[in-house]
Amino acid sequence: MNALPNRRVEDWKYSDLRNAIDAEVVASAPTAAWAIASSAGAVDIADLPAIMPRGEHGAMAETAIASAKAGPSVRLGKNERGAAHLHLTEGGHGRALIVVEDGASLALQETVLAGSFANVAVEIVVGRNARLTHVRHAPRNDAVQVIDYSVRVAEGGVYRAHFADFGGKLSRTELHIALDGEGAQTHLSGVGPLNDRHADVTTHVTHASGKTQSTQLFKYVAGGTARGVYQGKVTVAAGANGSDSRQTAKGLLLADSAEIDLKPELEILADDVKCAHGAAVGDLDAESLFYLRSRGIPENEARALLMRAFIGDAVDEIEDEAVRASIWQAVDAALEGLL
Amino acid sequence: MLEIKNLHATVDGKEILKGLTLSVGAGEVHAIMGPNGSGKSTLSYVLAGRAGYEVTGGSIIYKGEDLTAMSPDQRAAKGVFLAMQYPVEIPGVTTLTFLKTALNAQRRARGEKDVDAVGVLRLVREKAKALNVPEEMLKRALNVGFSGGEKKRLEILQMALFQPALAILDETDSGLDIDALKLVAEGVNALRAPDRAMLVITHYQRLLNYIVPDRVHVLAKGRIVAEGGKELALKLEAQGYEQIIKDAA
Repeated sequence: MNALPNRRVEDWKYSDLRNAIDAEVVASAPTAAWAIASSAGAVDIADLPAIMPRGEHGAMAETAIASAKAGPSVRLGKNERGAAHLHLTEGGHGRALIVVEDGASLALQETVLAGSFANVAVEIVVGRNARLTHVRHAPRNDAVQVIDYSVRVAEGGVYRAHFADFGGKLSRTELHIALDGEGAQTHLSGVGPLNDRHADVTTHVTHASGKTQSTQLFKYVAGGTARGVYQGKVTVAAGANGSDSRQTAKGLLLADSAEIDLKPELEILADDVKCAHGAAVGDLDAESLFYLRSRGIPENEARALLMRAFIGDAVDEIEDEAVRASIWQAVDAALEGLL
Repeated sequence: MLEIKNLHATVDGKEILKGLTLSVGAGEVHAIMGPNGSGKSTLSYVLAGRAGYEVTGGSIIYKGEDLTAMSPDQRAAKGVFLAMQYPVEIPGVTTLTFLKTALNAQRRARGEKDVDAVGVLRLVREKAKALNVPEEMLKRALNVGFSGGEKKRLEILQMALFQPALAILDETDSGLDIDALKLVAEGVNALRAPDRAMLVITHYQRLLNYIVPDRVHVLAKGRIVAEGGKELALKLEAQGYEQIIKDAA
């Protein structure tokens, strides 16, 4: 196995894996274990097929693919409706496959309960006019976790995903998304209320076809010694005209010892595209805080209200009401820990 | 109700209030008039307890208690309300949520029970109607995209909702056209009560045509330099600050 990615590798500058974990632990890690917490509709759950699709991945996914011996395959047939809730129950190297066939619609939830180390590569295929809504909840932990999704979205398909990451010793989520057919869309959002923990979202969205759309909205609140990272690259390929891309990443820094690094990046090889990106890091606004307190709202309650307001639009990107409520609950608890 | 004695206050280490003395009784409306830079806004922020506005001497006694020892939220719960010159825009917090949170925070601090969502909505609607605040405004993020007049109306709506014992109105007339001014003044006048005191801080006499004060104080260079009845405001308007301040010296 090659050396672990470290801060001298540009992509891993803010997430030094070599510093976070012993290479021996990575090399000797077992195959990760998954459980299907629930499923509904015509979802077909099986072991991974012998021949797996392979999309673009980051450095650690190679190790996961080489080391993981098994994993779940979640498949939804043409024009079907379904839901599935996956748990990563034991750490190690993992692989998974999610296929949503043409015209089908799958609601996927993912919860991470892994031990001290997990390194997972997930292949996702969204068929023509298919729709996948994906919510991943990673509760606050002390683990080193790398999860790397490679997503291909066909013509008219939609991949909508939310990542609520409360941080770990090192938590890295990579998303490599190819909008492969005309009109394909992806809408990504995520929140990281971090207290003394690390969370990194690194995305690469490629608009390979025309009239494709991508939006990204990521919010971090960092207290203590927390570190929040967003690196987002959008590539609009030659000929992908009429594409539309928006990237927003914002951070709220609550302590001098915390850090938030936001790096949106655009690579445009087509004409006639609309692309916008913005990134900003700030502190809780003193004037807003005073206004709320002058109306009788105690300091901690006022701070919580402002943090909630800051993070809110990203959480509200979750369409399913019950899932949104459960993430809100976790966010509120985390924000309370940041007061 | 409010006794300010020989008050000295600094902002960023610079002394702005230099021995201000003022007494406002229950049921009274007092106007504080002064030119730009006289310390009007500093006085309002000191009374509300804003961080960075430091009292370095003198005293502020409100209902027999030392106001300077209380946090801004404690002051609010005890009935001090500042209608701000520049109400803050807070994206992500709807106006109604804010009103409910604030009202119940004040009630809780006083040991009273929370008002439930339906109760708050009923209360707010009743006040909103009188101030011509449309329901749609209450659903929007607090002050975000509100016009100057809308922001000021919402300040007065809060005053009507919280029913403070001491209301301080900081340049409530600034940025208002005459119709909005009348509406806001009506709202304020409706709140005049024997157990409530008001301090109306303004640069121009105009507002005092509509909110008629019992006493007028002229603030200059951090001190009250002249006092009188409502006619003093008219004299100021006719002669200008310079003359009055010179006469007082």
